[in-house]
Amino acid sequence: MTSQSTTSKDSIDATRDDGKWLSAFYDPVASLYTFSQCITLSDINADGDNKLIIADLGTGSYQMKLKVYKGTNLVSENTLIDLPTGVATFYMDQNEPRTPAVAVASGPYMYVYKNLRPYFKFTLPSLEINPLEQDVWNQVRDERIDVGVLREMLEGMRAEGTSLTVRSLRFIQLQAEDLEAFANQYKHTPLKKQTVITSLGTMKKSLAEEDAISCLVLGTESKQVYILDPEAFTVLSTMNLPSVPVFLNVSGLYDVEFRIIVACRNGNIYMLKRGTKNARSCIELNSQPVGLERMGKNIVVGCMDETLQCYTTKGKKLWTIKLPASITSMENVDHKSKGFKAVMVALSNCEVHIYKDKYLVNIIKTEDIVTGMKFGRFGREDASLIMTTKGGGLIVKILKRTAVFEEKDATAGPPVSQNIKLNVPKKTKLFVDQTMREREHCVSMHRMFQHDLYRLRLDAARSYVKALETSMNPVSTNTTEPLKLSAQVQGIGPTFKLTVNLQNTSISTASFNLLITFQFDDRLYNIHKTYIPVPMLVPGLSYAFETFVDCLSDKGISDTIKVFVLRQGRSVPIITAMISMPVSETMVVV
Amino acid sequence: MDPMFLAYSFFRRRKFEQCVNLCTQLLEKNPYDQAAWSLKTKALTEQVYVDEVEMDEEGIAEMLMDDNAIAQITRPGTSLKKPGTSQSGPSQGVRPMSQSGRPLSGFVRPGTQSGRPGTMEQAIKTPRTAHTARPVTSASGRYVRLGTASMLSTPDGPFINLARLNFSKYAQRPNLAKTLFEYILYHENDVRNALELGALATEACQFKDWWWKVQLGKCFYRLGLYREAERQFKSAMNQMDMVDTFLYLAKVYVRLDQPLTAVEIFKQGLEKFPGETAILTGIARIYEGLNDMENTVKYYKDVLHYDNMHVEAIACIGTNHFYTDQPEVALKFYRRLLQMGVHNAELYNNLGLCCFYAQQYDMTLTCFERALALSTEENASDVWYNIGHIALGIGDSNLAYQCFRLALTNNNDHAEAYNNLGVLELRKGHLEQARAFFQASTVLSPHMFEPHYNYAVLSDRVGDLQTSFSEAQKALTSFPDHADSKDLLKQLKQHFSLL
Repeated sequence: MTSQSTTSKDSIDATRDDGKWLSAFYDPVASLYTFSQCITLSDINADGDNKLIIADLGTGSYQMKLKVYKGTNLVSENTLIDLPTGVATFYMDQNEPRTPAVAVASGPYMYVYKNLRPYFKFTLPSLEINPLEQDVWNQVRDERIDVGVLREMLEGMRAEGTSLTVRSLRFIQLQAEDLEAFANQYKHTPLKKQTVITSLGTMKKSLAEEDAISCLVLGTESKQVYILDPEAFTVLSTMNLPSVPVFLNVSGLYDVEFRIIVACRNGNIYMLKRGTKNARSCIELNSQPVGLERMGKNIVVGCMDETLQCYTTKGKKLWTIKLPASITSMENVDHKSKGFKAVMVALSNCEVHIYKDKYLVNIIKTEDIVTGMKFGRFGREDASLIMTTKGGGLIVKILKRTAVFEEKDATAGPPVSQNIKLNVPKKTKLFVDQTMREREHCVSMHRMFQHDLYRLRLDAARSYVKALETSMNPVSTNTTEPLKLSAQVQGIGPTFKLTVNLQNTSISTASFNLLITFQFDDRLYNIHKTYIPVPMLVPGLSYAFETFVDCLSDKGISDTIKVFVLRQGRSVPIITAMISMPVSETMVVV
Repeated sequence: MDPMFLAYSFFRRRKFEQCVNLCTQLLEKNPYDQAAWSLKTKALTEQVYVDEVEMDEEGIAEMLMDDNAIAQITRPGTSLKKPGTSQSGPSQGVRPMSQSGRPLSGFVRPGTQSGRPGTMEQAIKTPRTAHTARPVTSASGRYVRLGTASMLSTPDGPFINLARLNFSKYAQRPNLAKTLFEYILYHENDVRNALELGALATEACQFKDWWWKVQLGKCFYRLGLYREAERQFKSAMNQMDMVDTFLYLAKVYVRLDQPLTAVEIFKQGLEKFPGETAILTGIARIYEGLNDMENTVKYYKDVLHYDNMHVEAIACIGTNHFYTDQPEVALKFYRRLLQMGVHNAELYNNLGLCCFYAQQYDMTLTCFERALALSTEENASDVWYNIGHIALGIGDSNLAYQCFRLALTNNNDHAEAYNNLGVLELRKGHLEQARAFFQASTVLSPHMFEPHYNYAVLSDRVGDLQTSFSEAQKALTSFPDHADSKDLLKQLKQHFSLL
């Protein structure tokens, strides 16, 4: 396998956006929430002027709209009932003038608009219902079993891995008292099992011309791919996949020969051919795909691990590129008049990289993270790039006619960082002298050091024992009472807030019967709660106890306050914290 | 002997208490004795006088409610508020940061330890001890403490009742006005009245006396009217070049967060007064605030060229050498300090560390013993903390553990000790304790990256990837170039994106 890994980091300077793109339009507040799949460019009025069609996801729950822009003006808005998952335009008949229809995939339906007016609604064929499930609901309808049994049966079926209808799933979720009402309300309507469209594509039917009649290709949540007839809206063929399709790439003609490359939710890429019912497994990725494009005979996949990978249709890996940030969107660039084909990758660091084969040829900097892109003819301009941003903005850029993309590997040779010298300070003469001294007197130095070390150990041990005896430690060393205490003072005075944080650091044993009290100079301070009972301490959690402290003196003096954690019935504190109180601020007259 | 002459003699010998008593007797005999009155005010002022150029505590109010700020995001290297932007010298991983996000200074001055807080909560959470607690405004703080001290010393009421004074009368008499002004400003801390007197006096001398302008500038500075102060100082400088005026003007610019202009002013000052150490030190301090270590050391070396007994310069250069991997040179500087008669726990502690890292083992522990013997409650914890490091260096983790515990005993908020204890517990395999220590450390000092990183490693080891990720990110916010955190984060990202 010839896999090659290159980094694009060092080549950035060579490929900066040096005026290849004209900035045509930027509206940071276009309030568009959409993705590449829901953007398309098409001449829907047959007037030679390509419109921008965007299915806007609105807020994600309402205000979904199908928006059409002529130039930069919004010319039409159609309300959508459900979240759109894809938009495509296709020619459905031979009528003149040649106006394409707009297909919007949304939930289990495919809405077809013609001349921007609703024209047809296609519903996905409903799925086969599990006979046992049907039987159970029938029995409920005939009141042969009660809702409790129904629920048990359904739960049992789900546990076995049977895929249930939406109604049954909702029924299982309900609280016990709502079951009866729900069953009564719905038991008389027939049970239906529907799926939703996940991805949308088009495929020419029998002619390869630009305005030939096209079929719609739908990927569904039920792991199937449907091909629809454009005139009668009947299912021409159904194909099965091992997993749920997320990206479709279609090529070829339906009546001659076609290939559909499908990226699925299980991280595999499958290939569908004319005449086959089941998919052929093609590529197993090592990370989830976030974009799929076809370049000639190769497949380019953007993955979640910030890589761009290229495979042949046979499944052989050609190259891998590590990207500087994670991918948000991918788009195919096909500039026919120049014969330029490339892949555009939008990244989460506000950049759009253009790759011709594995070479980075251009970087576009944007003001915001790009989430949707479309390259193609917009208005009368052949090479336009439409981008929507995370913040809801709309950017239109036009490729200059003089722009030439240089195709070269900018990363040849050793990386630049190899030539930077490390700043290592020189060894001074003093250091050499001292080393000489060390070499000459090594024995006496070592003896001296060991002698001092014993004394120091003794000193440390003495102080440590003294600290233990007086429990002068904010962290308990006692294994039976593993507690940690920290105290903070907040405020500027004369009233301070004293927060005592207590944490049980044991693994499993809780602490009981503890209390917190304070030692302080009562001429200087007044503590509101001098006794704080501590509830049971669950291991690992930090408990905060608060009290107010009034400073009684205005002389600008401060003292320490000791916080004790005690066990009830024992006079020796478990742990102690010392708080140096800050000087209290007095009234300031300036 | 003439009592007036004796009083003068006392004043010159800085026996202010006796001078005041004598003047009081003279004034009892003759209440209109102007010489005695003037001398008494001077003596009282001298008792509480602190050089204002040196002390500069910025209060909470100035920092959080800064109405002089022009831009929220400054250009790199032009602001004292974002010191990390113009880095030169060793990185944060080598030279520890103080809370303000600048490297530890070799010489503690007001404002070097506790830094500018980012939030109100951080600001009111009182730092370690009362010694570093931040006043609400710079108008309170030390001035108030001094003011109250002077009030305590005169139990039978103030010497001069300001409310009854007729300022315009005194303003006409320059011999009395100047001492009276200083008395009001320094002894009574009544800036408003001082300003009133100053304004009248400068008018009385037809704006020709630079001294009054400087004093007015001081008043404006204390009131937070920096632009007015700037105008007064500049006008004074046109009449008379004084080192003090340059220092004050630079102080104004520092407060306005224009460090580069302040350096410019200092350099103008240097043209008039070449080799003036106060000005050179000022430049070095500003560069230190900007995190520009190369220039800092350059100017401190200039200071030493003119004044080779300058403690601050020696200490700062020594610290810089220590952190740039030349402990043997740092040792020389600290020994120089010792020879000059500086004799405290901090110095012995530094000497011990330098000896250890320069491989002069026979002196190391003796120095630390002395440091412990000289240590007070505040710095004992730091000495123990450093002994803990020596113990780690010789591989005695038991001694290290005890030392870090002792550091905590002396100072309950020693975040670095908490962090190191956590690492020791982690090595012993006590994960729960280690976790508690790291958490305590992160709460106590949010500016440190070490506890965050250590906690991330710990969480990664026990499989809590979520916590590990967020902690590694926190470590990177306080130290953006920390390679280990970046590696960990990369590893985690890879883990998250893999199937």
